[in-house]
Amino acid sequence: MGDSQYSFSLTTFSPSGKLVQIEYALMAVAAGQTSLGIKASNGVVIATEKKLPSILVDETSVRKIQLITPNIGVVYSGMGPDSRVLVRKSRKQAQQYYRLYKEHIPVSQLVRETAAVMQEFTQSGGVRPFGVSLLIAGFDDDGPHLYQVDPSGSYFSWKASAIGKNVSNAETFLEKRYTDDMELEDAVHTAILTLKEGFEGQISGKNIEIGIVGPDRKFKVLTPAEVDDYLAEVE
Amino acid sequence: MSRGTGAGYDRHITIFSPEGRLYQVEYAFKAVKAAGITSIGVRGKDSVCVVTQKKVPDKLLDQSSVTNLFQITKFIGLLATGLPADARSLVQHARNEAAEFRFKMGYEIPIDYLAKRLADKSQVYTQHAYMRPLGIVAIVLGIDDELGPQLFKCDPAGHFAGYKATSAGHKEQESVNFLEKKMKNNPQLSYDETVQTAVSALQSILLEDFKATEIELCIF
Repeated sequence: MGDSQYSFSLTTFSPSGKLVQIEYALMAVAAGQTSLGIKASNGVVIATEKKLPSILVDETSVRKIQLITPNIGVVYSGMGPDSRVLVRKSRKQAQQYYRLYKEHIPVSQLVRETAAVMQEFTQSGGVRPFGVSLLIAGFDDDGPHLYQVDPSGSYFSWKASAIGKNVSNAETFLEKRYTDDMELEDAVHTAILTLKEGFEGQISGKNIEIGIVGPDRKFKVLTPAEVDDYLAEVE
Repeated sequence: MSRGTGAGYDRHITIFSPEGRLYQVEYAFKAVKAAGITSIGVRGKDSVCVVTQKKVPDKLLDQSSVTNLFQITKFIGLLATGLPADARSLVQHARNEAAEFRFKMGYEIPIDYLAKRLADKSQVYTQHAYMRPLGIVAIVLGIDDELGPQLFKCDPAGHFAGYKATSAGHKEQESVNFLEKKMKNNPQLSYDETVQTAVSALQSILLEDFKATEIELCIF
């Protein structure tokens, strides 16, 4: 990829052995709006702040949580345009897997392939790393999964995780509240409470997004009305 | 050969700065402002309108050849604010996308999908060093069969979103403040009200009354 004039890597080692472009990419992620995910015993929930720059923006046109396959969803923190590239590539990879094996791609494999793409952009010529971290949530034959993928291309499976601005507070909150036998409904409530912790302003169905996948293996982004219902339950 | 690891090259090509910013993208936004033109778009109940200043720098120029407003298909318009040459490149790409979509899918490209494709192309320029971002903010408008009037804005960073009203260019912030007040209570604007809102916004921001030859306007 890239022009021959730029067929050398832009992400190179510093004298201390660090890949500074990746560290800077992580700063771009840390400046992004908070997102979090919680893996329950019977499903996964991912949620994010959806703070729009102006009331003039039509919030129905902005969708931060996206489907990759009917049973796998993803949310990002960081640079929105970069996340669209990864969503597109992941969707294609999932379809290619299905075409080859006539089976739906397991979540761990999809994550591995997405992470490989992110790693490529830290090494290939003439490109910069992605300025996003992804939280990938899915339900497959091995049960519920929650993975976090970083700009470096490294990925980990989490019971609960947060990325973006308010990470340290969110993680402390999640550590206190998380239990291994949590059910999906509890997880949604916990997710909302965690988002509320660092939220500036009035939280509502219009300025957060929540996606859930349960044993039915259908990833669903909740409508603003459904989110408002959960918010009312949490009050 | 230039090698970038924060040795000042983060300002020349689109790699990350130490704070995690992309300076080239930020400079592209400045180029849009430097063009000296302000554009405004307003979405009504069943119509959508964009208006922009028409500045012809030289009296000898053929006025009819100077334009920032382009037709992408019979049903979609694009207002490009910023560098005129980059505008033509973007419009060419948009027209190609729309025509290819119509050919392959058999129906007209939806406006939100076209906006997404333009934004995706802009994102590529922010990630690959060999091409700089375009100095253009594109406002795409039209009437969608299912969703009604649509107004989308795509910027050099690759962001895009649908808007009830928006603006771009030199006096973008002032225009947005004005429009936020007007659109606060979600008014359902008629055809005439949509045009009036857009034009009066431009006039009050720029503090001048325009003659017909000094603005360009598109309404669906």
